[in-house]
Amino acid sequence: MDDTPNSQELFLFLASTAHDMKNSISVLSGTLERLLVDASPDTSAQAGSAYPQMAHMLYQTKRLNDNLMQLLALYKQVGKPAYPFDVQPLELGQLVEQVVAIGRVLLQSRGIRLELDYDPGLIWHLDEDLVVGVLSHAINNAIHYTGERVRLAIRETDGWLELRVEDDGPGYPAALLKAGSSATGSAARGTAGGVNFLTNSTGLGLYFSSEVAKMHRHRGRHGSLRLENGGQYGGGCFILRLP
Amino acid sequence: MSAAPPSSTPPVPVTPAKADQVDWAGKHYLVVDDFVGVRQLLRESLRSLGARNIDQASSGGEAMGLLARVRYDVVLCDYNLGEGKNGQQVLEEARVRNLVNPSTVWLMVSAEKSVESVMGAAEHQPDAYLIKPITEGVLLSRLNRVWHKKQVFRMIDQAYAEKDYLRAARLCDAQIEVSKVHELDLLRMKARLMEKSGQPTRAREVYERVLEQREYQWARAGLAKIRLANGEFEQARQAFQGVIAENRYYIDAYDQLALAYQNMGKLEEACAILERAAKLSPNAVLRQRNLGNIALKLDNLPMADKAFRKCVSIGEYSIMKTPDAYLGMARVCGRKSDPKEALQWLLLAQREFGQEHPDIQLRAKITEGLVYHESGDFRRARKAGDELEAMLNASGERPDIPTCLELATLLFAVGVKDAPVELLCYVIRNNHDNPLLLDEVQAIFDKARMQEEGVAMIRASKKEAADLMNQGVLLWKTGKLAEAVAWMRDARKSVPNNQRILFNAAQIMVSHLQQQGYDAALSGEAYEILAHVDYLLPGQQRFAQLMEQLAQLQPAADGSGAATAAPAPS
Repeated sequence: MDDTPNSQELFLFLASTAHDMKNSISVLSGTLERLLVDASPDTSAQAGSAYPQMAHMLYQTKRLNDNLMQLLALYKQVGKPAYPFDVQPLELGQLVEQVVAIGRVLLQSRGIRLELDYDPGLIWHLDEDLVVGVLSHAINNAIHYTGERVRLAIRETDGWLELRVEDDGPGYPAALLKAGSSATGSAARGTAGGVNFLTNSTGLGLYFSSEVAKMHRHRGRHGSLRLENGGQYGGGCFILRLP
Repeated sequence: MSAAPPSSTPPVPVTPAKADQVDWAGKHYLVVDDFVGVRQLLRESLRSLGARNIDQASSGGEAMGLLARVRYDVVLCDYNLGEGKNGQQVLEEARVRNLVNPSTVWLMVSAEKSVESVMGAAEHQPDAYLIKPITEGVLLSRLNRVWHKKQVFRMIDQAYAEKDYLRAARLCDAQIEVSKVHELDLLRMKARLMEKSGQPTRAREVYERVLEQREYQWARAGLAKIRLANGEFEQARQAFQGVIAENRYYIDAYDQLALAYQNMGKLEEACAILERAAKLSPNAVLRQRNLGNIALKLDNLPMADKAFRKCVSIGEYSIMKTPDAYLGMARVCGRKSDPKEALQWLLLAQREFGQEHPDIQLRAKITEGLVYHESGDFRRARKAGDELEAMLNASGERPDIPTCLELATLLFAVGVKDAPVELLCYVIRNNHDNPLLLDEVQAIFDKARMQEEGVAMIRASKKEAADLMNQGVLLWKTGKLAEAVAWMRDARKSVPNNQRILFNAAQIMVSHLQQQGYDAALSGEAYEILAHVDYLLPGQQRFAQLMEQLAQLQPAADGSGAATAAPAPS
């Protein structure tokens, strides 16, 4: 963001448009969640395919929301001092409670079980909004590709907090594993998800997540993002490490 | 809609396990958003928590109307409300006008991560910031968290509101032991309390303890502020710049950095840094005012004009609205040799602020004199001077010290003699132990070619105040407590703004209460004196100590009252 009058004007314009779009998305996802809760799958048996279609609409709406949020964060230069980064101490219980709350209806409507493995009393210092956003996005993504369950596991090892989102799907394709590792590499910036931006938007999510990880710094160390196949269920593993 | 009774705050034990016991169904809610779809959605979410009492407002103005009539337990307010007040301005006005209880949960909602949430040190912060879209589960989770934090801070906030900062600090220590998750917030509060009780060394210890855990910019900024207060301007400058380099939105650091530059005499730099801050966060009335004032000092009229105009326009929707911007505009017009428009601004100032600012007439007249004086119209400047003299003679009230000095300088400059001398003597009598200020007063005498008269006046006025005080202390030391109290009461009448005398008056009254038993009227008088001295110069150690002693003397307080002996007045 430079400070020329034009960029200021553009920024105000973008900000007010984003505000408006967020309102629309809020209403969309809120309404869909309500409809899905009211129409549980068995009661709407005669309604035919409406239920799974609504569930898919919710998934797409969440993707839309995540992408908008990530674009906005990138525009605000996430990863640089210009971003309003806000680290606070937080109990993992509070963190997970919100991630679960955000994913609850979509998980239910797709019949997917979310398994949790964490110490609710553990306190960590992080930017709550960013990390909740990253985890929700990862879970949303996992829901799309998994078989029947998703696992969120968080533990402390050697002064790091490791947050894993695992699924039992086919795992990440080789190209993405490569992009994922380059997104976390040092020469990442320009190339990070370059290829993936063109093919689908997964690159945006990974790039964003990796920037969020790197913003978390403590005593000369900074966070990182890693993609693997395997884990507890043998599917894709999204691994965020924070100092 | 009927006015609800203030919400009761049952003493819920503070444990996260009790989270689900909060009765969210019975609370009274206000939802503020300019978008009807979002209001409906939030209302539905609240209904599924069982809520029955939900009011809605579509604008800041409408929200203020409801807040003035109803005591809400929970307010969900969007930051962006279109035309008119924004969410922050609604919050500020509601808090300043006491339209919300300390127990009221205020959640600020925005479309994206708001800059306001990380600006630091904004006086009126909501309890939490929420980003859209807000699902039911997230709402409930955040409500519960805020509620429990409020329980942890309830007693502390109460002591803080009573200005018993030392008790509040002890309560912080006690809570830190039992509530690990709030440790940092409690430490931050404790540091603030130590600053407010004039103990920067202990505040510094707290900040350093925080920084041992994590690099928190508010703790860095806290350390820098202590350096600034110590007069270590260069170190403070470096530290604030470090904070800004780490977090460009930590706006409070900009304001403090500007102060450091001002103290170093670097007005250009101070002006530039405030300009940057005003770009990042343009809607703060007081920052625009400070920017205008510095620009005026630098004779940068376009910038002063812009800042004061902005200050006026955002003030329209803000409780922070200040007459300074109007007086500043008048000065700008005067410098541009447009006294006619200057007078328009002065009229406007008197019309807008006549009620809340009883001294506005005097201040407008001073500005008028300055405007004429600066534009070279000496006849009209002298006329304003004579009118000011008449106003001073008609009223025993005197403006604050900087205004007194400005006024005396102006009066001398336009050729009035008696009124400024009287004014400067008043300043000395009320600040007889402040050598820096006495030097400033002498300089004004010197400039008016009254050097010798000045020396004599200062000596006489100093002695007058010192005698008043010494006599009271002598009575007290010889055990004539009732007479000492009576003497200090009179002394206070003749020098109403002398902090040393006010502190000693309060001290002697506390002594009287301790030795002769509690007396509600005397205790009230001591509180009144301390409130006034805190208004004159906040953050003094003696204030905190006397407030604590007085609180311990209150019969309702926890048992053992007059145990501690008061130290001698000094």
